[in-house]
Amino acid sequence: MNDVISKTFLITLVGPPNSGKTTLFNYLSGQNFKTVNYPGATVEYSVCKLLGRFNLDASIVDSPGIISLIPNSPDEKVAVDALYNHPRLGSPDLIIATVDASQISRHLFLVKQLIEAGFNVLVALTMTDMLLKKGFTLNEKELSEKLGCLVVKVDGRSGFGVNTLISESLNAIENPRFYNKRKPLLFEENVNKNWLIDIYNEIEEIEKKVLHKVISPGKIEAVNRKLKIFSNPAVANHNNSIDNTTLKIDRLLLHKYWGLLFFFIIMAATFTSIFWLAQPLMHLIDQLFGFLAQTVHNAIGEHWIGDLLSNGIINGMGSVLIFIPQITILFLILGFLEDTGYLARGAMLIDKPLSKIGLNGKSFVPMLSGFACAIPAMMAARTITNKKERFLTIFIIPLMSCSARIPVYLLLIAFLLPFNKAWIGGIILAVIYIMSIVSSVVIAAIINKFSSRIIKATDDSSFILELPSYRVPKLRVVFTNTYYSVRMYLRKAGPIIFFLSIIIWGLTYFPDSSPKTDTSGMSKDEISQVVNAERLSGSYAAYLGKAIQPVMSPIGMDWRVGVSLISAFAAREVFVSSLALIFKVTGNERSLQTSIVDAMKKAEIGSTGQKLFTPATIFGLIVFFMFSLQCLSTVAVSRKETGSWRIPILQIIIFTSLGYFFTFLTVNGLRAFGIN
Amino acid sequence: MKTAADMVHGEKGIINNIDGSHPSSRRILEIGFTPGQEIELINKSIFNDPLAFALRGTLIAIRKNEAACIILS
Repeated sequence: MNDVISKTFLITLVGPPNSGKTTLFNYLSGQNFKTVNYPGATVEYSVCKLLGRFNLDASIVDSPGIISLIPNSPDEKVAVDALYNHPRLGSPDLIIATVDASQISRHLFLVKQLIEAGFNVLVALTMTDMLLKKGFTLNEKELSEKLGCLVVKVDGRSGFGVNTLISESLNAIENPRFYNKRKPLLFEENVNKNWLIDIYNEIEEIEKKVLHKVISPGKIEAVNRKLKIFSNPAVANHNNSIDNTTLKIDRLLLHKYWGLLFFFIIMAATFTSIFWLAQPLMHLIDQLFGFLAQTVHNAIGEHWIGDLLSNGIINGMGSVLIFIPQITILFLILGFLEDTGYLARGAMLIDKPLSKIGLNGKSFVPMLSGFACAIPAMMAARTITNKKERFLTIFIIPLMSCSARIPVYLLLIAFLLPFNKAWIGGIILAVIYIMSIVSSVVIAAIINKFSSRIIKATDDSSFILELPSYRVPKLRVVFTNTYYSVRMYLRKAGPIIFFLSIIIWGLTYFPDSSPKTDTSGMSKDEISQVVNAERLSGSYAAYLGKAIQPVMSPIGMDWRVGVSLISAFAAREVFVSSLALIFKVTGNERSLQTSIVDAMKKAEIGSTGQKLFTPATIFGLIVFFMFSLQCLSTVAVSRKETGSWRIPILQIIIFTSLGYFFTFLTVNGLRAFGIN
Repeated sequence: MKTAADMVHGEKGIINNIDGSHPSSRRILEIGFTPGQEIELINKSIFNDPLAFALRGTLIAIRKNEAACIILS
């Protein structure tokens, strides 16, 4: 049969959010798909070849979840237009519409529109087990007749019914019983609302006929009791109840006051686990790459190739992989919260305060993710349908204190503290985090005031969100989704960070002037240390650093800090290793941090005898790292997600000048108060 | 004229009409708030906004100003 088919068919999956569409897509693709942007848009779709074992040569497209064929935003318009005529793949031979069987009264709305438009539609009925739990069954033959398209029951989690779905798909493509091959109709945006109401009325009629109450013989008494409650026969055939467990849990989790308390507890728990669970793993990765770099360096010796391999490539890979533990844990927790149904509730709880500053309840997941890394956070902002709110969310994400800043803060705080008062460091760190939230809120509010000038979008603000029933999360689903999110991070951010690390390496290594210091009588380690330091102070990076000396002087710093700040554009934590390099520190004897702190305490500005690092300049540096946008990968992702250079360039200018301005205020303010 | 925004906790009501002048009215209709449907106010978020309604066997959260375009009978 297979060799008769000469053409690759195009099948598009369409469905409302929470209809099991993506789960089905993952099953059909065997998790092997490409995620691509629609040309010229920030909206994405996934595409795959149907697995070989299904014996059907077809490309499957997973389109973004929509509830209606009439778009409500420019992004939805891109998604809807692509259903009619995909910019790369053409018009679909078949549309598989996913419908949650326990939600047919709402999910059939899109199906009715698709059929009315004239698409070749096949309905994949998902979550029939949920319907059964509610005490109903559905006859798919009856539904098929009433709708005028094929209906197949499937379960994308177990694969139940998928073979039938595929054979019926081929059937629907080759012998379209219900489909008259005309060009699908495009609906007008200013559609008559009575038409929408009529569609729903028709669905209600269909629902009454195809849903059947389950009566098991042993439970007749119980059912009879229930039937008495449902005294109205019209109600009895409806599936209007929400499961009781969900209502009970929501009485607590959505409680006016308790709800907020639970929200903060859940968020705090998420936060602490991102940091505490990830810390040992990050340390391990750090040590592993340090060891690898050292080994390679020793094996090749003092040569630029050895240095490129160890300090450029291996450390560059390390600076990508170091974030994997945090990002994995973040996605795991978010995946669990999402699969249980809580995330939508969190968005609802926080919507009002966020809407005051021009954000949306849906901004909270991206903002939370921003504390791990801005890159997945900006990608998570896609769920915000309103463009203005989405761009504003993306705009303030770099202010969230991401994990790359932790090593910097830890070093700077260590400088400020005596050894026996480590707990003060915890307090300073907590203050930094709170300040990062406060500053992002203030800046969002200010930008919201001038939003028409900064963010050009005029959609009406709206918050309409389905709160799905609570359920036990499926581990396999959460784990595979986490795996794909992490893989996406590696693919998108990895090459940029890696590439930049090599550039920064080149800037700090070349022109590789040979040392002028007398090295006689020094040990091999000492010589290599001196050579490294001399090379850096003669490098292009130092040249750049000296060029920005006039900018560094007002904030009490010199070119050496400038070089480290420039290096930090590859990734913020590079600041620490760069300082180590400049102040000729090696971590052989004691921990690297203690050695850098010691060297920093000795450093002087020029030969004036004036100390370079004082509490004032250290606080200044902390403030600088809180505000300035130093991460080029963030800039690249911001460009990609907003579709132009406008927002990322504004982010660099605004945040970096804010950072500089507040550092200037901090350093000189503290000095004015006699703290030096 | 009573709207869904005026409902109290646990109150049920039947939708009479949707105010078409509201910018979100089409989306409100599309998600299933249609005339004749029974809705129940299940939860209010802090500051009484957004509101969660039981509708067609599921919970839908909408903002108070959006609930104001749902006219009850």
